[in-house]
Amino acid sequence: MGSKTDIIKPRTVQVYDLDDFEKLLKGIKVAACMITASHQVVDEESVMRRLSALTLNGPSDGNCCSCCGVGPFDSRAQQTAHYKNHWHTHNLKRKLFGKSPLTLGQFNSRQEEEDDLSVSGSDSETDDTANKPSSDLFAAATRHCKAFFTNQQGQVFCVYRCILHHKKEEPSTDGDGSAWVQRCKKLAIPGFQRWAVLMVSGGHFAGAIFSGGVPVVHKTHHSYVTRRGQGQAQALRDQHGNAPRSAGASLRRYCQAQFLQHVQDIIGGWVEDLQGCTFILYRAVGSLNQAALFGKNSPLNKDDPRVRVLPFPTKKPSYKEVKRVHETVASVEVYDTMELFQKALISSTAKAVTKTSSDTSVPGKKPPKASPNKPVDRAKSRERTPRELPTQMLSSEDEGPCFIDSETPVAWIKTLSEQSSNGVITNSRKDLLNDIPVPCPESESETENKIDKKEAKKKRKKEKKQEEKQPAKLPQKIPTNVKKMWKVISGNEITSLETIFEGWETSDLVSACNTQDPSDGNTALHKAAIAAKPDMVTQILNAGGDPCIRNHQLQTPYAATPHSDTRIAFRLFQGQHPDKYNYAKAHIPGPVTPEMLEQEKEKKAQQKRAKRQREKEKQVEKIKTNKFLQMTDAQKVKTDEQRCFLCGSALPKTPFEYDSYKFCTIRCLQNHRNLRPLHMSA
Amino acid sequence: MAVRVQFENNNEVGVFSKLTNSYCLVAIGGSENFYSVFEAELSETIPVVHVSIAGCRIIGRMTVANKNGLLVPSSTTDTELQHIRNSLPDNVKVQRVEERLSALGNVIACNDYVALVHPDLDRDTEEILADTLDVEVFRQTVAGNVLVGTYAALSNRGGLVHPKTTIQDQDELSSLLQVPLVAGTVNRGSEVIAGGLVVNDWCAFCGMDTTSTEISVIESVFKLNDAKPTAITSTMRASLIDSMS
Repeated sequence: MGSKTDIIKPRTVQVYDLDDFEKLLKGIKVAACMITASHQVVDEESVMRRLSALTLNGPSDGNCCSCCGVGPFDSRAQQTAHYKNHWHTHNLKRKLFGKSPLTLGQFNSRQEEEDDLSVSGSDSETDDTANKPSSDLFAAATRHCKAFFTNQQGQVFCVYRCILHHKKEEPSTDGDGSAWVQRCKKLAIPGFQRWAVLMVSGGHFAGAIFSGGVPVVHKTHHSYVTRRGQGQAQALRDQHGNAPRSAGASLRRYCQAQFLQHVQDIIGGWVEDLQGCTFILYRAVGSLNQAALFGKNSPLNKDDPRVRVLPFPTKKPSYKEVKRVHETVASVEVYDTMELFQKALISSTAKAVTKTSSDTSVPGKKPPKASPNKPVDRAKSRERTPRELPTQMLSSEDEGPCFIDSETPVAWIKTLSEQSSNGVITNSRKDLLNDIPVPCPESESETENKIDKKEAKKKRKKEKKQEEKQPAKLPQKIPTNVKKMWKVISGNEITSLETIFEGWETSDLVSACNTQDPSDGNTALHKAAIAAKPDMVTQILNAGGDPCIRNHQLQTPYAATPHSDTRIAFRLFQGQHPDKYNYAKAHIPGPVTPEMLEQEKEKKAQQKRAKRQREKEKQVEKIKTNKFLQMTDAQKVKTDEQRCFLCGSALPKTPFEYDSYKFCTIRCLQNHRNLRPLHMSA
Repeated sequence: MAVRVQFENNNEVGVFSKLTNSYCLVAIGGSENFYSVFEAELSETIPVVHVSIAGCRIIGRMTVANKNGLLVPSSTTDTELQHIRNSLPDNVKVQRVEERLSALGNVIACNDYVALVHPDLDRDTEEILADTLDVEVFRQTVAGNVLVGTYAALSNRGGLVHPKTTIQDQDELSSLLQVPLVAGTVNRGSEVIAGGLVVNDWCAFCGMDTTSTEISVIESVFKLNDAKPTAITSTMRASLIDSMS
């Protein structure tokens, strides 16, 4: 994997070209970017030594600025002056960005050149953009899959870490990195270039053992282990117990077992060759592929330090690919100077993103569009194909809306519920709901008959009741004098009923008062109550008019009246005659006495007065506020009225203020402030 | 005397507290245990105050303080500021600063006389810092890090800096600060010194993970073993009374 920068093409040297490689190794050192500054070992003794040194010599030995290369300073004043200098700050920042410090002369001339050279500003100067912070370089280098070395001639070369050390035993980079150098030198020993490369992926196996640059043995194998059309990872499903039982699935299962066996056979045949290898590079992603290489009775052991993972992505295992991988791992990139190398490294890290995107479209994998049997992604919702809606089967019997409106006769509903409870009608909803009973004539006639009967029964009952109440009279025949009384009650004249009452005997009077109007069921009391005539109500009540009788709307006279005065008349009567009628049944809430009425009246009057007073005060306040608001700010300050400067309302105990302005709320203050620009308010 | 303490199972005690020679701030909330450790150690000599900054508990990283004053970031609310003013001694100046680098504790390291600041700190802030805390201000880095407040803990008697500070840098810094410096760690190897340690002239609090070696380094560099809080309090009391009369 050479760095794909278009500017620099590094020379590559194969590790097995021993002459070239040895030439490269002359005066080898680990590149500076690989080395981490060693942690200081802090213990008490060293601290004490340092402290004693400090106290003995004083802090004079640090009396210089290493950043600017100045010092030692003569006096403390000189020292502090230097550290406060712009020059020092500038150099400090240059140092942070990995640049060399400027001398005072350079700095001064530069500042003259560009006055806008920001010293304390945040943005970094950009004199040479190619240089990046050294810390970045270090980070890139330590994370890289290659190790970097320099040699006598100042060349920089990169070696894959996987041929230097196992992942788990990384040599320390502290100090001069001698461990790395040793490992790198080891590569040049003849006979050390015997490597094995093994790759397993998706039913493909490819393996080869190389000695120097030449393959000694190699083998590839392919087997049918994935069913592309069936959501590939079938092996996992098999393990979970719900294995598919189709012919294809069992074929695949068989092939899988065969594949494992075959790969293990191949590796088993190479045991002796593998033992002679200095390391074994492999690529096997996933548990199945790993099982093929390291499974039961495999000669390979994953914990063997020789066994190492390939550090870069590979294509489908094939002999060609294995050769390419070996070539890549063995190649050493050589940059002639440090600078070239730095540029290449930084650009390669920057381009990492774009590189990977281009790598995905390798020819091995077809782009998803072109693949004929596209795998079904069950995680995603599928596209919906437009389908016709099923034709709706609407029948008036089943689908009719369910409601009982006010026009449905109560009796009608009652009969229906009775019928359904008797088992005559099983689906009560069906009939309840059909207001216009048409659907089937047979049942209809039946129900009609039933209803007729029921209604007749009910009427008879009612009549009986009425007969019981008024034994002397027939309901249809209402005496003329009662009619006359009703007329008087409903009429506009304010004549007293006493004259009419006087003409009757007491028993006649009571029955006359309680006679119900057949049209709406109202008694005289009802009529008086509805007509809002409290005097008449009292008279009728005195004469024996029962307030418990309900009209056809099931209202008692008290409930029927729309006026509070009439209601009070009922309650007054209750107060006077607490035992005469069943007032609870008459829906009369409770007795009142004239005194209570008086008190209530007074209360209301008082409330009214208070309200008027409040309104008056508000008016006055409003006038005052307006007056205050018309004043200028200067006048407002002078007046001793404590009011908000913006809205004129009264101030709270501790007002919000700025300058000499006072406000009732923060909002007022902000608004006031916003109205006036800063220079005016100051 | 260095004390190990934890804030709600967190060892970064320097994040949740601020310790100076004349007062101590601890974060609101927290378990009462955290507060009580400070209270037990300090309450006889200096006030220990519960505060929050902009509703956050990371007061140690947001504020910069010494015995003379306290700087809080602009995000501090009025009520918080009022509460701080009410709780601190009268001679402590409390000032709010408009600074882009709002985590003042991370960009400024100071003792009662000298402050090291982030090279990018605003000039205005530098002035306010010098006035409020009564310090000399130097723009510096610690081991190549601009967050000087994070990687250095200073008192008037010594200082602990980032473990990768070179000897030369240490010498320079200590000559600048006029106190001995040592490179070291807290919290079992953490290089975030100020995050794991708060210190004044006679007392230090560090994270629960701090090893005994680290503690002994801290105690020797800050000279906590021979520190006598009583002596300091007596002199402090005298000066306090002086300032009040």
